Amino acid sequence: MFRPRSVAVVGASRGVSATGSVKLGTAALEHLVAHGFPGRIYPVNPKEPELMGLPCYARLREIPDDVDLALLLVPAEACVDAVRECAAKRIKAAIVFSSGFAEAGDVALQAALVRTAREGGVRLCGPNTAGVVDVAGRLVCSISMVCALNPFREGPIAFITQSGALGGSMLGRGMEQGVGFSHWVSTGNEADLDAADYIEYLLPDDRVKVFALFLEGLRDVPRFLDICRKAARARKPIVVYKTGRSEVGRETARSHTGALAGSDQMFTALCGQFGLVRVDDLADLFPTALAFAWTVGKLPRGPRLGVISASGGVCGVAADECALAGLDIPELTEVGKARIRAFVPAFASVRNPIDVTGQIRSSATGYQDAVRTVLGEDYIDAVLLLVTMAAEPRASFYGREISGLARDAMKPVFVVWTGPVSLASEGFPMFRENRVPMFLSVRTAVNAMKALVDYAASLDRLEATP
Amino acid sequence: MTALAVDIIAEAVARGEPQLSEGDAKAFLRSWSVPTARERLVADADAARRAAADLGYPVVLKGCAPGILHKTERGLVEMDIRDAAGVTAAFDRLMERMGPGGAVLVQELVRGARELAAGLVRDPQYGPCVMFGLGGIFAEALADVTFRLAPFDQREAQAMIREIRGARVLGAIRGMPAVDLDALVDVLVALARIGIACPAIREIDINPLIVRGATPVAVDALIVLEPQSRPQGRR
Repeated sequence: MFRPRSVAVVGASRGVSATGSVKLGTAALEHLVAHGFPGRIYPVNPKEPELMGLPCYARLREIPDDVDLALLLVPAEACVDAVRECAAKRIKAAIVFSSGFAEAGDVALQAALVRTAREGGVRLCGPNTAGVVDVAGRLVCSISMVCALNPFREGPIAFITQSGALGGSMLGRGMEQGVGFSHWVSTGNEADLDAADYIEYLLPDDRVKVFALFLEGLRDVPRFLDICRKAARARKPIVVYKTGRSEVGRETARSHTGALAGSDQMFTALCGQFGLVRVDDLADLFPTALAFAWTVGKLPRGPRLGVISASGGVCGVAADECALAGLDIPELTEVGKARIRAFVPAFASVRNPIDVTGQIRSSATGYQDAVRTVLGEDYIDAVLLLVTMAAEPRASFYGREISGLARDAMKPVFVVWTGPVSLASEGFPMFRENRVPMFLSVRTAVNAMKALVDYAASLDRLEATP
Repeated sequence: MTALAVDIIAEAVARGEPQLSEGDAKAFLRSWSVPTARERLVADADAARRAAADLGYPVVLKGCAPGILHKTERGLVEMDIRDAAGVTAAFDRLMERMGPGGAVLVQELVRGARELAAGLVRDPQYGPCVMFGLGGIFAEALADVTFRLAPFDQREAQAMIREIRGARVLGAIRGMPAVDLDALVDVLVALARIGIACPAIREIDINPLIVRGATPVAVDALIVLEPQSRPQGRR
């Protein structure tokens, strides 16, 4: 499914439907071709002799060569036969875009689809999926309008979602904001393969450094836990946003415990016990995933943060957010303070959070030395750098110097950029290029740092368990 | 599981009871080394007075029978009884309110400002899950609780305890000693083990788990059984 040498598009078409919208069969074929799939493509449609310059076949069995993967874009009722034809043609995997199965109430049709697939040795993605993408392989099997972004931005995140439309939206928004992906899978109805299967499959892939999940429900909890343990051992974090917060406890409960126990509580428990990272804000999913991808090799030993900025104001914001999140900002020791005083203007505050003041600009190395000193204090587990109003060339100074500091540090360094990005056109991209976790929101940065601390603690406990 | 624990459950299941009586629930928990209030089950006023004298005043008297839930709301808890006359009066009131078939639990009065809650629930997807948090009459209103999936070890129980919003209550505050966290961990780990070992148990409530000095003590307990597929008649 992920590394096919050839793809058949069953139900490929041209043009638009009667209502003027692009037909799904058209979209799937166009996207596959436009994103430059390097293998062989076989459109299948008895009504067309050719599509997009490619010879079009009336039936799968007429394709002279072997086919590795089939995309199914025919109506739901026709899918069972289509899967049978895939089996006859020895196609090992099919991505079923068609809707009208269990999600529309037709459980029987979906069961028939799965039965036919299992009997024929065909693995299914979907049905009712928005598609599967392998970015480096230029495999874009998707009907989502997000495919208009071309090429897709490559990066360390394998994004797996149980919602097709939301998944495509988030993917596009993420890429627009500079987030890169290795894969995207919209799992659809999970009639055959489910989220756990895709994670398990992608775990050994070197291009995948972190998983980002959008989940609505879990089918098989013990299997999912097994995958979580494997991911923890492989040091590939799973960052997840899950809906269902508003579910209430069971009404049939006779005990207080039963009344308080909702499945969302259990999911939170699962995350803490098995090393998953749960985010509360959808907008935090990708920034957190990126931060984890780049700091999984230098996890913090505790919750003690060194906070540095050239603005007293934003130091106050950071202090508040850390208090809310449960991170400590420990007082510097007298020795530590004395060390930092050597590098900052005389009137700077050397309390943590450390306000090095705007005057730090007058020193070529004062900022770097101050940061390095804080990183060296043994009661500091991680550092948060808050950059306020920096235009070029100062922005590039920060981009360069902070990237160097973060790279050399043995502890995680997160950066918050509070000013306009448009005035930092050269400096701002340096963070991503150098894999420095960068955030546009203090709260997101602080929550991600807390998540990193909790993740480190979870891994510790998991490893201690026989 | 001890033989006693097995018997308690087996007998209740055989009688088709939906839950254990408070006395049986506490006996079951004691067999798993969960500390409980000292108490005696009595069927007459004489025995009640003797039990009170043995346990030491003041005592609490409670109506005890398998079908009883919500004792407080039904007037089946007589608090702070200080002498033999009080025991007699309380005993008589309880027997009248319960009707035939009831017994009375005479219990030491456990004092402690801190009331915690611990429990077990069997989730259809997640399996047995243990709960810990702030307890007392406001437990559901506060909902300051955390959960863990069974099985889990002591380190995980320690992490769970630290997670409640009211975790500071467990420290040395307002002149009270810090709660014995090892003892608390033992209760939670025991609940996890019970969840795995006793599929006949559906839910457990230990509320309140009163901290007396530094020690958590189960003052009330509810153990709900899984419904049986073939209902058994009462004997």
